[in-house]
Amino acid sequence: MPDRNFFLSPNASKARLREAENARKNRWDIIKSHSQGQVSRRDLIKMGLFTSAGMLIPISGLSPFARSAFADSNIPTGLPPSPLFGVQPFSTPMPRFDVLPRNPVSVLNPAPTAQANTTQQPVDPALGGGTGPIEGRPPGPIWAHQQFTQLPPVIAIQATMEGAKINTVYNPAVPSLQNSGINPATPIPFRFHPALPDQNVLKDWTYNGTIPPKLMLARYGEPILFRLRNKLPVNQNQNGGFGIHTISTHEHNGHHGAENDGFTGAFFFPNQFYDYHYPIVLAGRNSINTTATDNRASGPTDAGGLNKIPGDWHETMSTHWFHDHMFSFTAQNVYKGMAGMFNIYSGLDRGAEDIVDGVNLRLPSGRASVSGKSWGNLDYDVNLMLADKAWDAAGQLAMDIFEFDGFLGDQMTVNLTYKPFMEVERRKYRFRILNGSVSRFFKVALSDGSPMIQIGNDGNLLPQPVVLTKLDEQGIAERYDIVIDFSRYSVGQKVWMVNLAEHQDGKRVDKDLSIAEALSGNSPDPCVGKFLEFRIARNPAQPDISQVPATLIPNPDLSNIPVARERIFEFNRGANQTTNDPVSSFFGPWGIETDNQGGTLAADFGRISAAPRFGTREVWTLRNGGGGWDHPIHIHFEECQTLARDGSASNVPAWERGRKDVWRLRPGGEVKITLQFRDFGGMFMEHCHNTMHEDNAMLLRWEIDDGGPPFLRPLPTPIPKPQGVTFVAPTEILPTAFD
Amino acid sequence: MNTQVNRRLLFSRTFVTLLIVGVGMLVLAGPSVQAQTAAAVVDSSITIVTNGTVVDTGTTVNVNGSVTIKCRRVIDTTTTTAAPLVMLDFDFSQLTGTTGSGKNLKTFVTGGNHATELRPLQASDTIVVTIPYFDSTKDALSASSFLATANLNFDISTGKLTSGSLTYGTNVFASSGVGTFTVN
Repeated sequence: MPDRNFFLSPNASKARLREAENARKNRWDIIKSHSQGQVSRRDLIKMGLFTSAGMLIPISGLSPFARSAFADSNIPTGLPPSPLFGVQPFSTPMPRFDVLPRNPVSVLNPAPTAQANTTQQPVDPALGGGTGPIEGRPPGPIWAHQQFTQLPPVIAIQATMEGAKINTVYNPAVPSLQNSGINPATPIPFRFHPALPDQNVLKDWTYNGTIPPKLMLARYGEPILFRLRNKLPVNQNQNGGFGIHTISTHEHNGHHGAENDGFTGAFFFPNQFYDYHYPIVLAGRNSINTTATDNRASGPTDAGGLNKIPGDWHETMSTHWFHDHMFSFTAQNVYKGMAGMFNIYSGLDRGAEDIVDGVNLRLPSGRASVSGKSWGNLDYDVNLMLADKAWDAAGQLAMDIFEFDGFLGDQMTVNLTYKPFMEVERRKYRFRILNGSVSRFFKVALSDGSPMIQIGNDGNLLPQPVVLTKLDEQGIAERYDIVIDFSRYSVGQKVWMVNLAEHQDGKRVDKDLSIAEALSGNSPDPCVGKFLEFRIARNPAQPDISQVPATLIPNPDLSNIPVARERIFEFNRGANQTTNDPVSSFFGPWGIETDNQGGTLAADFGRISAAPRFGTREVWTLRNGGGGWDHPIHIHFEECQTLARDGSASNVPAWERGRKDVWRLRPGGEVKITLQFRDFGGMFMEHCHNTMHEDNAMLLRWEIDDGGPPFLRPLPTPIPKPQGVTFVAPTEILPTAFD
Repeated sequence: MNTQVNRRLLFSRTFVTLLIVGVGMLVLAGPSVQAQTAAAVVDSSITIVTNGTVVDTGTTVNVNGSVTIKCRRVIDTTTTTAAPLVMLDFDFSQLTGTTGSGKNLKTFVTGGNHATELRPLQASDTIVVTIPYFDSTKDALSASSFLATANLNFDISTGKLTSGSLTYGTNVFASSGVGTFTVN
């Protein structure tokens, strides 16, 4: 049997492996040249290396997917597998996330400003020289922090974006005992496993340049100013062969003004910073519970009480993540490591299981009475970032940016560590699982088929918990919060998290496996099977008093809010490019058709595809125009409710009956959702979160621009340069955008 | 931006290599791909009246109820390489279990459980899934699991699910899926 999979089996013939490695090296020249801006896609088309649909022509000796002399069919035959250097799975502990320091906003120098700080500084000659603003945020009133006076930042969180380096300031915010024995004082080199090679400074770019991935802690009613400094190389060629040094961070899925959303076209350059203002408010704050009288609409105080805030408590969110959103480079940059997680605490979801006040749901987390922390205890509340990676013969992170169907890695990592283990106690744990991959879907089960309780979807606690023995497929960017009760095991036992979703390529899942199939070792997909080992190490020091209540957070009642209009978005392959702005438009095989207007369009962040009215509610239909692929579609800004799948409300599974911000459309599938447009304005996005699809070019811009000054209708498009951001008129406005 | 060719690099080794390979392969350039809306679906379903026995920690539980299995065959007309597949939804919500009798009668429920599966389309397929169940007087945290083995038959020309059977059994993974280690 030939290898049909994305990656060759390690058992493939040596000749075939050698052929594939040579092809990858040859292909690497093109990838590197393209990523460094030396050659454009149009150039590659002219040279015959690309089709106009954006596909790299499969040429033997150039593409590992070309027909092989060593394979007995003409089907793709795969990339060479990533070497493991003798490393065994489950031989190193899983590091908990690295919590970013929270400080008073007064520590920031310069102090944050409502409008972008345009103080001039010299610009490196590699970036064109001259002078430019110290802050990369677009200047002026439209991109000023909305409601900055009403919601002034209280907490400063600072980070840099830089290349791989040793972590000497690791803060897991839990005792070593709750971190599988890891001593946080021991420096952590940037490796996917202690016995794998150090990563090159140009190969991996992360927040603060280190691993483990970073975690922000926030609480409702306490606005945050996140200052991100771009310390990446000024020379675009210094990218390790993929990724770009211009960045934009999306707080997924914050209910913030658009200036803080990480808009794909609001990127900034090395030596600049960008101030993101996260007010951490409940949606509906200007229309519901405006006098802040409801205890359930609240954040935790340091004294264990409640800080009541305006807004709808049904809109409380819990598990976010943040990641780069650079236009047409999101896949590369996130794959390089630009991803972290973001836990939001509330009166309901307190992160302190021993506070009993009738509001706190007391989910597994830890005891305030033990830690002294009235919120945000992480002892039994664990962030997991799942991501498939690949590395080259030298062990350096590798990516093929021309796999427009989707890029798959062949090695599973959790929290950027290759197949780790985690020590747990015999009690309940909450896991916040993020799919941080480029194109891979997961389907998670425990190796013994034991039940898990799903409590949240995309960061929103469900109306009711759902008991499952395997989770649904989890698309890229989806977050599933689950509770596992390890008290069913004995000390000294171990059980594994298992991936059941088998891929053959990055288009979609090829097959959902049973546990037996996944554990058999027969799958051609190397990321199927066990990926995280739980070692039941001890009994808990205190009895487990955490709870999983029968009611969590009911959905907001939208029945009295009229539907202002409906829109249809169809996600297709084979897009037209109707605009050609060199910065805002991008060429790729994927695209989106809006409102059945007869044209699937490639991405252009200068084009306005929809402009819902401020203060209204709409119904949107998201349709997969193809049967051969799946798309996890993400809508920015406010959480939505799923009204129907494939035309029927009864097709919406129990675990999707809360609020969501990413929907797997499924092959040939359709999802109908409803969402509101309130509290803030500006330009937002909608896109496929298979980031290879997003970057090539399944993304559109929509905007809320009629909320009054300073907004203009339509909004001008920012065009960032190191010397300053300029604005241009939209390249195109679709006919139904403003209807 | 990155879309600009750096003229100084036009004669670089990499670029010349690309050019040589590229010119040689001009003839292989593929045609433009037009927008493709290319999904057709075929829906089918069967309902099976089921019963079986599960042994869990020494207790025998009788399981019965009807299970509806929905099948969606998605036809992709844009690619010839994608293997045909079906999406299956098993509705286990009507299953109940009982043990004992009279005052000692206990009833178990599945918590409205569904299982969704993406599978290659083939004439017959055997699918093993685990199902959670728990005492109806308690909450889902007390759940255990048992196995369901579905033998399903499909008309591969239409993609319809035509018939099938379900058997239940003890969750064998409860032992085989758990290992041991030496506690330090």
